[in-house]
Amino acid sequence: MDLRRALREHHVGAFFLAVGVVLSGVYFLIPGGAPQSVLYDTIGIASSLAIGLGVVLHRPEARMPWLLFGLGNLSFAVADIIFDVSPDATVPSVADWFYLAGYPLLAVGLAYLIIHAGGHHRFAALVEAAIVTVAFALFQWVFVVDQIVDGVGSASERAVTAAYPSMDVLLLAGLAGFFVTAAWRTPAFLLLVGAVVTMLVADEIYGLNPGGYAAGDWVDAGWMLSYLLWATAALSPSMQKLSKPRTRTRQLRVSPVRIMLLVAALLSAPAVLLIQDVRGAPLNVPAVVTAASIMAVLVVLRLMGILRALERIRARLIEADRLKDEFVALISHDLRTPLTSIMGYTELALDDDIEPKLDQERRSYLEVVSRSSNRLLRLVDDLLFVARLQAGRLDLTPAPLDLCEVAQQTVEEAKRRAEAKGVELVFEGDGAVEVSADKGRLFQLLDNLVSNAIKFTPEGGRIEIRVSRNERAILEVRDNGMGFTADEASRVFDRFYRADNAIEGQVQGTGLGLFIAQAITEAHGGTISAAPRDGGGAVFRIELPYARTAMILK
Amino acid sequence: MSSQVILVADDDDDILLLVTTRLRRDGHEVVSASRGDDALALAREIRPALAVLDVGMPGLDGLQVLEQIRADETLDGTRVLLLTAKAQESDVRRGYAGGADAYVKKPFSPAELSTRVRELLDETG
Repeated sequence: MDLRRALREHHVGAFFLAVGVVLSGVYFLIPGGAPQSVLYDTIGIASSLAIGLGVVLHRPEARMPWLLFGLGNLSFAVADIIFDVSPDATVPSVADWFYLAGYPLLAVGLAYLIIHAGGHHRFAALVEAAIVTVAFALFQWVFVVDQIVDGVGSASERAVTAAYPSMDVLLLAGLAGFFVTAAWRTPAFLLLVGAVVTMLVADEIYGLNPGGYAAGDWVDAGWMLSYLLWATAALSPSMQKLSKPRTRTRQLRVSPVRIMLLVAALLSAPAVLLIQDVRGAPLNVPAVVTAASIMAVLVVLRLMGILRALERIRARLIEADRLKDEFVALISHDLRTPLTSIMGYTELALDDDIEPKLDQERRSYLEVVSRSSNRLLRLVDDLLFVARLQAGRLDLTPAPLDLCEVAQQTVEEAKRRAEAKGVELVFEGDGAVEVSADKGRLFQLLDNLVSNAIKFTPEGGRIEIRVSRNERAILEVRDNGMGFTADEASRVFDRFYRADNAIEGQVQGTGLGLFIAQAITEAHGGTISAAPRDGGGAVFRIELPYARTAMILK
Repeated sequence: MSSQVILVADDDDDILLLVTTRLRRDGHEVVSASRGDDALALAREIRPALAVLDVGMPGLDGLQVLEQIRADETLDGTRVLLLTAKAQESDVRRGYAGGADAYVKKPFSPAELSTRVRELLDETG
C-alpha cells in the first residue's frame, strides 16, 4: 500500500521514460546481433508490464482500454522475441501473427476510450476522424499496398505484408477519433498520441522501403520510443482522468490544427493524382475515386451537423431575445406601479383642498418625496429606454414637424425649472424649420439637452437654444455652466460616462441622458456633437435632415 | 341617455383608491372594479359616461374590455380612458386603434388625470 503511494507520488513515469530513453541511446552504441536484440526485447516487455503497473497504481475507472494497450504492446514484444530467435522464417511467420494481433488490440483500446468519453459532439468528431482516416487510407493504398500487391513473393506472403499498412490505417482511425473527441488535453493524452504517432511514423518509414531495413536501423528508435510512451502514459496519474466519462460536453473547438488536418485530408485525392502524374506512375483510379467519394459524403454529413447546430443556436438566441423583452416589460410594469402610488398619494397629500391643512414642515418633507420620486421615474424611464434601444426596439413614427415649434415647447416646459434655479433660458429661431421626426422622441431629445444644460449651469447663468438652417436643420444649446475639457468632448455621449466636473461638482445623474440624446439623433439620421466654449460652458449641436416634402418645395 | 357615473377599474387596490379618491374629490360619482370581467359587467349594468380602465387586469385586460364596450351598441355614449404602466408607443397606438378616447401613462399626476376626465366629460356634454 505504501509502496503504491510512494510510486504514485514519485513521478515513476518520468523516471521510466528517462531510463528508457537512455537505454535506447545505448542500443545504437552496442554491437549488433544478440546484445541489441536483448536490449530491444527488454524495452518491449518492460513497457508492456509497466502499462499493467500503471493500471494497478492509478486504478482508472475504465481499465479495459489500458489492459488492451498492455496486451497489444505485449503482443508486439513477443513478436520481437520470436523474430529475433528466427529472423529468417518465411513470411507469414509466427512473429507476423503476433505483430498483426497487436494493432487491433491497441485500436480497440482507443475506440473504448472514445466511446467511454461520451458527449453530444461525438458524432461530429467521428466524422472528422473518418475524413482523416480515409485520406490516410488512400495514401497507404496507393503508395504502400499497391507496391506490395504488384511485388514479388507468394500470394500469402504478399497478403500478410499488405496487412501491415492496413493495420496502420486501423490504428490511425483510432488515433484520429481519439484526438478529436478527447476534451482533456492531459499529459496522458499527449503521451498516448505521441506513442501512436511515433509508431505510425516508424511503420511508414519502414513500409515505404521495406527492403532497406536491417536490425539496428534508426527506425528501431521510433518503435522503442513508442513502447516507452505507451508505458509512460499508463504510469502518468492523469491517465485516470482520461478514462473518466466527461460530464460536460462542449461544442467542438475549431482549432487551427483541426482545420489544417481536415484541409490536408480533403486535398489528399488531388495530391495523389498530382504525385502519380509527376512520377509517371500508373494511376489507381478506383482507390482515388472511392476515397474522394467517401470524403465528399463525410463532408456533407459534417456540414449538415454544423447547420443543425447553427439552427439550434439561432433558436436559443431568439428565445433569449424574447425573454429579455419580457423581462424589460415586466420590470417596466413592476417599477411603475408602486411609483404611481408614491407619486399620486404624495400629490393628494399636498393638495390644498383637504382639511386640516399641512404645516410647512410636513409639506417640505413631502415635497422632497415628490422631487425624489420624479427623479426616480426619470431614471427608470432612461434605463428602460436604453434596454429597449439595445434590443433594437426603438419604434419611431416620423412625421413632418417644425423643429422651431418643438424647441419652443421644450423651452416653455423647462422654464419653471430654470427659473427655480435662477438660470435664464433664451430661445432664438425664426420661421418654420421642417424636419421629419417622431414628435415624442424629438421632444425627449431636446428636453434631455436642455435639462442637462440647466443641471450644469450655476445660478445667474444663461442658456441659449437656437434653431437655424444650413445644409441641414440645426439646433444648438449653449450654456455657460461648468463645461468639460476638449478631451472629454467626444466621450460625453458614452453610456454611463460622467465628466470630471460633474463628479466634482456633485451634479446628480446617471450618465444616460446624452447617450440617449445621441441614440435618438442618430435614429433620425442626424448627428450630434459637443464642444467646450471659450470662457466656460458647453455647446451641443444637433443637425437633422429636412423633411422630404420641404426639400421638394425648395 | 347614459348616467354621469364614472367607472374605474384597476387590479392594484392602492391605485384604484387613488383614482377614485381624486375623482370623488372633484365631485364625480364613481363605481369601481378590480377585474376586467367585473368592470365589463358593471359597465353594461350602469352604462357609465366614462370608463377609466387599467390595461393589465385579470379576467379581461383593459384593451379587451374596451373592445367589448365598443362592440356594445347600448354603450355608445361611454367614453374610455386607458390607464397603463406600459409606456411603449406601440401600446398607445393599439389603445387608440381600439377606440380609446384618451390615454394616461402611469405614473400619472392625479391633477392631470382629473383635468383629462373633466375634458372628456365636457366633450360629451
